[in-house]
Amino acid sequence: MTNALVEAIADMREEDALALAKKQLADGTPPLEILDACREAMAVIGRRFEAGDCFVPELIMAGEMLKQISELVKPKLTEAAQAQKLGRVLIGTVEGDIHDIGKDIVTFMLDINGYEVKDLGVDVPTAQFVEAVRDFQPQVVGLSGFLTLAYDPMKATIAAMRAAGFTGQVMIGGGQIDDQIREYTGADAYGKDAMAAVALAKTWIGA
Amino acid sequence: MKIIAEKINGTRKLVGKAIAERDAAFIQNLAKKQVEAGAHWLDVNAGTHPDREAADLKWLIDLIQGVTDVPLSLDSANPVALRAVLPAVHKTPMINSISGEAKRLEGVLPIVAEHGCEVVALCMDDKGIPATAEARLDVIRKVFTATRQAGVPDEKVYVDPLAMTIATNIQAGPIIFGAMRAIKAEFPLAHISCGLSNVSFGLPVRALINRTFLVLALDAGMDTAIIDPNDRELQAAIIAAELVLGRDKHCLRYTRSYRAGLLTDGVPTPASQKAQA
Repeated sequence: MTNALVEAIADMREEDALALAKKQLADGTPPLEILDACREAMAVIGRRFEAGDCFVPELIMAGEMLKQISELVKPKLTEAAQAQKLGRVLIGTVEGDIHDIGKDIVTFMLDINGYEVKDLGVDVPTAQFVEAVRDFQPQVVGLSGFLTLAYDPMKATIAAMRAAGFTGQVMIGGGQIDDQIREYTGADAYGKDAMAAVALAKTWIGA
Repeated sequence: MKIIAEKINGTRKLVGKAIAERDAAFIQNLAKKQVEAGAHWLDVNAGTHPDREAADLKWLIDLIQGVTDVPLSLDSANPVALRAVLPAVHKTPMINSISGEAKRLEGVLPIVAEHGCEVVALCMDDKGIPATAEARLDVIRKVFTATRQAGVPDEKVYVDPLAMTIATNIQAGPIIFGAMRAIKAEFPLAHISCGLSNVSFGLPVRALINRTFLVLALDAGMDTAIIDPNDRELQAAIIAAELVLGRDKHCLRYTRSYRAGLLTDGVPTPASQKAQA
């Protein structure tokens, strides 16, 4: 049963996936099992994306399917199950840069992999990151930037968050970022794509 | 259609490395190859760090001018760097770019006006890139108010409506073509320019999407593009599109390109076969 749902989502058959999820719920399948199938399907899609066999618009479509399924499932979940998130990740594109696609994909992949993600948007000033670190208490912060102009704001943001007492991990990503930039900005790691971000979160927070 | 050749860009890995290592031959070769392929301007972007931008840009400009007199498109939003390098530029360059952002209008537009440059104007302001064709038109109206006030004639302005990624918004194409038509109708003397790199992001066989986009954009009023002139298939698509759109008198450019082997990509033409026999 669950496998059919995994396949329907992974193969982008939206109507089948929704119909299957509805039927399983009606037949008494535990809601958490359905969410697990969603997660499994996303892992399949993630692997296909990494292999160049599945593309950005399909990630977005999968996100829409997942949203619809989780809305079906949510009313049947207990509060405890709903609150069961793996950890908190704060994310945003740094000041001076307005690129959002990469950041949005990372946010989405972290979210469907079970992390609570707070997305501050684009062109986010250092002070806003510092404030959000204090209020949201993330274990991991992800800074995005596509332009070379983003490296200095990244460095400044990381320094300011550390000065404000943030002891978690920082990952950076986007465009031309490599290990040299990672070192320059003082980040703990950099990721080439959204799957790398998920892998880093899993290493740091656990899965 | 005119081509702003995009390859000398320090944010590209190999070029960034060549700049850092002062690899003159690499840069000059890139310039020559783009000129041979029909570049009307050579875009020059020093990328990297604000502290080094002026020095790197100057180094690039001197090298490029050593091998070609095709005009440059100075790709920088940094007024300090632009002012520092302008005395070294032989032919009045294009400036890439201004936008509705206050910082660019205050910093870069006066330089454009003083030197009589052509200029790329991006359809965005301090609030970012507007989502709709109408909102882009609003932004560009403000830019034209500023360029006219500064004494820059409309025909020196190359409006880039900023093509967005189709993968994340299936209406990105119609939005941009709508914006091009609206800009052309309201500012008939201005040029319309466009870059292709965002359009196909996140999808396979990007060159096919880029080519198709460019052909449709040509019909929507685009007359200049920031592209790689060494992309033979893209060049062939441009030549065929201009023919189909009635912009190639007596089909001469098309037939000449055919005889030069530009349309067939390696497949010998009857003439070249005869010459070999």
